[in-house]
Amino acid sequence: MPPKNQTHRIDELLGSVTEELLLGNPQQFEDHTLRVERLLLEMVRPDPVQPRRVLPEQLHFAFHGNRLTPTQALKELVQLVQVAARQRGRPFNNVLELLPNPDDESDEEQTVHLSPEEQLLHDLVNLAITIRDDGQVNPLTVVDVSQGVTQQFRIETGERRYWATWLLRDFVPGYTGDGMIPCIIIPAERSSVFRQAKENTARSGLSAIAMARQAALLLLTVHGYQIPDTAVSNDFYRQALNLDLRGKREYTEAILSAMGGVDKARFSRLKALLQLSDEALELADRHNIDEKKLRYVLSLPSEYHVEIVRQIIDFGLSSKQVQDLCRGDSDDNDKAEQGEKPSPSAIKIAKVTQAINATSAQDIARALLLQEGDANMARARIQALYKLLLETERFLSSG
Amino acid sequence: MTRIFVFTNHKGGVGKSTSATNTAFGIASMLRRAGAPNARVLLIDTDSQAHATLVTTGTKDFGADDSLYSVLMADRQNAAQTLLNCIVQSTWDENLHVLPASPMLEGAERELMGIAGAPYRLADPLSRIANRYAAIVIDTRPSFSLMTEMGLIAATDAIVPVEPRYLETVGLMSVIGKINDIREGWRIQNLRVSGILVTKMNSRIRGHNHLLNELKGHTVLGKLLVGVIPSNEAVSYAHQNHLSIFSYDPKAPASKAYAQFVGKLVQRIAQGGA
Repeated sequence: MPPKNQTHRIDELLGSVTEELLLGNPQQFEDHTLRVERLLLEMVRPDPVQPRRVLPEQLHFAFHGNRLTPTQALKELVQLVQVAARQRGRPFNNVLELLPNPDDESDEEQTVHLSPEEQLLHDLVNLAITIRDDGQVNPLTVVDVSQGVTQQFRIETGERRYWATWLLRDFVPGYTGDGMIPCIIIPAERSSVFRQAKENTARSGLSAIAMARQAALLLLTVHGYQIPDTAVSNDFYRQALNLDLRGKREYTEAILSAMGGVDKARFSRLKALLQLSDEALELADRHNIDEKKLRYVLSLPSEYHVEIVRQIIDFGLSSKQVQDLCRGDSDDNDKAEQGEKPSPSAIKIAKVTQAINATSAQDIARALLLQEGDANMARARIQALYKLLLETERFLSSG
Repeated sequence: MTRIFVFTNHKGGVGKSTSATNTAFGIASMLRRAGAPNARVLLIDTDSQAHATLVTTGTKDFGADDSLYSVLMADRQNAAQTLLNCIVQSTWDENLHVLPASPMLEGAERELMGIAGAPYRLADPLSRIANRYAAIVIDTRPSFSLMTEMGLIAATDAIVPVEPRYLETVGLMSVIGKINDIREGWRIQNLRVSGILVTKMNSRIRGHNHLLNELKGHTVLGKLLVGVIPSNEAVSYAHQNHLSIFSYDPKAPASKAYAQFVGKLVQRIAQGGA
């Protein structure tokens, strides 16, 4: 027998029972409170657009492009760090070996300079052990983005705790947990880029590049740009370079407050960092380089950005030193572009080549130290000169 | 805590699958109408005949990789994720999700027999995703097999559908006794017999009325009576059309009776108590 055409009556039937149930208390099913629930780790995913990235860029994109599972991403990170550790002569097999040995009283640990990846893994292992020993006392904040039978929660805050829990589950021997993580669940309609920004900027250690991305994300949001739910390239954030607070005065206060109470000038300077080349952005983010240093790099053509950022990292240059370095380079670039006649600096350097037999390396080192007052700055100058000479030679060879 | 209703009776043909499917659909629909923020309901079919799966999804072509079988066979760490991966949406309602059964469940019982922790192979992963649902409904097979035991261990509320016939009502005490054995034996403190649902009631048959009255008058069983579903042809036609009884014929007596029964369960869910 075919179905009876009474589909609208199902509403009447179930509706009448529902009304009976509510018994004059229609609010009994409504629940607007924030819930803290333990969620299966697999149901939780980091936010791909989150300005504060935990994983190195390559792994970040592979993970958010679904080319790596969380376990595989961590495995890649561990392997990356293992290679670096082996090269330093400190190989390890188990991540627990990264923890300081309580019986070792030497202060050798403190003198070892760790790469950003090593530092990240150290921090994650430490966090994982804290979670193992003391439990996850601070829940993650997640947004319910479930659709149909796919149950998923996007992390608003707490991505490091998420990775630490995976590390604990899959890489730390003796894990006895149930693969769940406590989360404060926020309904999708109450998710807020402003709250996420406040949480991010309230914590120390947020890199200038992450702040720049955060500024861009806020600007893009208030200007009505669609925020994708997949990993985005730097060009996505760079769209904000053409936007400013003036266009959205009603949001200015909220944006500046979400950025940690910065003033408009600082906001603009942070946003301007997105002009850095992709490689420079990645390096500056990984090594947490200060905006004060990076702002001078912006005065150079983009092809020089990564080189200067590398020098900042290798030689630990101060902002004053970066300013000097960039001003010199910038002056030369400007003058070279002005006409056929070589710049005075170029003529000076050319003359120096005639006098190389009249001096020694030691003398030059002493003179450089005297001039710069700092060995690192002196080394940076030599590196820059070395690069310049190589380019000059290449230029001469090509005729 | 999410209420997990298991419909169980070792006697076949008493309306377990019909009651489980219509209850799951009814709860989801009523919660949505009541404005509940979470109106999702999961229906788990543990019967290898997969009748509940067939009527709620329109197919029973589920096998080793996409059914309850794969959940039971998964290693402990991946079982919850496997469970999530196997859940499908019912064609009845977007809020009704189904963990389908497969004929392979027959073999699963043999494969799992004697494996330590086997009775918890459903309860363990289910407990990790249960809070995502407003309620979970489990349909069991007509026997007290390992699969039924798994359903009972995972559940909070056992509901016993029973026909108003002499032998069925005599067997009722043994069903309740068995549920209590599981509760005590496995120390499942959350599990309780929370309802007897009389199905296929025909008030024109004197024997049915007599047994129903006896049931109502019983000091313990009378209190457990949560609904009386009249015998109704619309139920079979609804099955045939892969529809819920509410959608097939909302004016049918069985629809009204199921709506009242579901209403009681929804009230329990809302109140969070007994």
